[in-house]
Amino acid sequence: MWGIFLESVVIFKNYMGFHENGYLAFLYLLMLLYLWLAEKDKRRRAVFVYAPTLLLLMFFCPLFRKLFVKLLEDSETYYRLLWLLQMSIVTAYGVLSLCGRFRRVGLVVMGALIVLCGGYVYDSEHITKAENAYHLPQDAIDIVDMVEPQEGRITVLVPADLIYYVRQYSTNIELPYGREMLIARWDYHHAMYEAMEKADVIETEEFARLAREYPCAYIVLKTDRAVEEPLTDHGYILYGQVGEYLVYQDTETTG
Amino acid sequence: MLHILSLLFWLVIVPGCMGFIPANFISAKKRHPGFVLLAGYFVMWALFEVVAIPAVLFVKYNNFKAASVCFTVLGILCAGAGLWLVFRNWRMNRPGLMFGSSGWDDNIDDIGVNLVKRLLERGVRHVVKMSWAERIEWLLFFILLVFQLYKAEAYASFDGDDAYYVVESLIAQQADVMYRILPYTGRPTDLDIRHALAVFPMWIAFVAKRSGIHATIVSHSVMPLVLIPLGYLVYYEAGRVLFGIGVKRRIRRRRRGAPQGKMDRKTREAIEADSVFYKENLPAFMVLMALFQIFGNVSIYTNETFFLTRTWQGKAVAGSLVIPALFWMFLWIYGSAGKRRHPEAGMWLVFVCVNMSAGVCSSIAVFLASILIAVTALCLAVVERDYRVLLKMGAVCIPNVIYMAIYVIVGYSYLLR
Repeated sequence: MWGIFLESVVIFKNYMGFHENGYLAFLYLLMLLYLWLAEKDKRRRAVFVYAPTLLLLMFFCPLFRKLFVKLLEDSETYYRLLWLLQMSIVTAYGVLSLCGRFRRVGLVVMGALIVLCGGYVYDSEHITKAENAYHLPQDAIDIVDMVEPQEGRITVLVPADLIYYVRQYSTNIELPYGREMLIARWDYHHAMYEAMEKADVIETEEFARLAREYPCAYIVLKTDRAVEEPLTDHGYILYGQVGEYLVYQDTETTG
Repeated sequence: MLHILSLLFWLVIVPGCMGFIPANFISAKKRHPGFVLLAGYFVMWALFEVVAIPAVLFVKYNNFKAASVCFTVLGILCAGAGLWLVFRNWRMNRPGLMFGSSGWDDNIDDIGVNLVKRLLERGVRHVVKMSWAERIEWLLFFILLVFQLYKAEAYASFDGDDAYYVVESLIAQQADVMYRILPYTGRPTDLDIRHALAVFPMWIAFVAKRSGIHATIVSHSVMPLVLIPLGYLVYYEAGRVLFGIGVKRRIRRRRRGAPQGKMDRKTREAIEADSVFYKENLPAFMVLMALFQIFGNVSIYTNETFFLTRTWQGKAVAGSLVIPALFWMFLWIYGSAGKRRHPEAGMWLVFVCVNMSAGVCSSIAVFLASILIAVTALCLAVVERDYRVLLKMGAVCIPNVIYMAIYVIVGYSYLLR
């Protein structure tokens, strides 16, 4: 039980971003404490004070965590219980109640504290300038436009950094493996993925044999991907190039 | 052009008209365009759930086609019913469903003759009445909102889960199939019950299909323009209750409590403080909420981060629209102490639909919504010393129980074979 409790503490700390110097949680806890002491309206106390406190206690309760994980068969989403605290609403209400007639000063001070204690959401390596209305990398779109058949579906082998995007643009392109292979903790094994991504140098003969099992009509490789022998020696032709990607067509599969 | 008109029809007109149904069953003074649109969205998502889940479970081939045809018919019928209620109120000279204040003329506006003009007039009237501080705060809030919308449009936010959810929407749009094809690879698959009951990607697919716009564009470029303002509309409505209705009543109570003509200094100060609280806090509240969303990225797990980086995913909608909407419902129905309030049928209808919308968003959201309702209901029952609260809230959760029962029956049916 103690171990489960400690796990919940770690989840709480990770959620609140203590390890990245995020301290919004302290503002929230401070306002919750203030509302405990100052909120007179009993119904608002129930909604803004008692319920969040009870939810926090439940979050740290090992029995509740065991039940949650058992019912949902998922321990990774336990942090979402903290969404129920609605920190922003409770904090904003607490601040405005606290400031009373000095609202303007309170707003400025609180605004500054949120900026200082929080994390700027757009300051992320995952947010980049959109290249098109799809919000997908243009290279992925150009490759699919190049290989997509007029009718029917084909299988295409693409490098890991395109796996997320290809089928968001066209479901006529099938993949021998998908995003599930890229998540280490899911721990899947796939021979094609091993041959494509894990090998330092692609062993062309075995690689081509595996690719034809699906069969992959096209193979997309990065220009700097090391291969034992050129794919063109194994029945492929260089079909085109998009940015840093080379697109090979399998003449055996596509006839 | 047709694409945009179709988007407007399914994202503004249909939910707006559906919102007239619950608006008809709340008192006239509580009616408000924000309420109508929000309530309409929750009614629409609830209706979509009722149509889509049976199609997912019982129709094997072209199940999306079946669901979208049914939803088109039922959606238009419900929107028509909302318009009919507006028309009926007009015929019977009752207060309008949009503004609820002035009777006959209001109904004319409700059905759209002068709606935009009327909204602008009301807006201007509000602005004229405001203090400069309030105007600046509202301006600041709108700048922050426009900034978020700009960022959502001009910047792409990568999230691995899109390879599942967005592709599910696209499969439905391009192949008319729901949850029978593995999005990662395109191979056929068995029903994954955890995802299959959360039909939010299918609603996006529906909007994409009807508007003829690629589902990925709808997810990444259209949905943020709809869902971010909608999220703030929930906060606005919650704020209106927090800083409006309850406080207004408190001021009246204090005035009544004071001896005629002789208000002592303490009471006068309390009323003054309440008046300021009532009048001027809403824009400040909205500014703080917007700042919280922009700077709430203390980790990748917060609902604020989800709201602005994965806006189009059901779980983000659950965290930043559905759960705050539950708070709004609690505040509306049990927001303030004093004379017992009698929430009208319309509010309970919206409450049930908010709960059902949780199921549209994600199966975990159903569980979370049930926990929040149970805990808050327990607290309210204790402070109110009225255990009927538990019964009422229990009744609101009936759709959640049905949803969880389906989840368990379908998810564990292999044990019975």
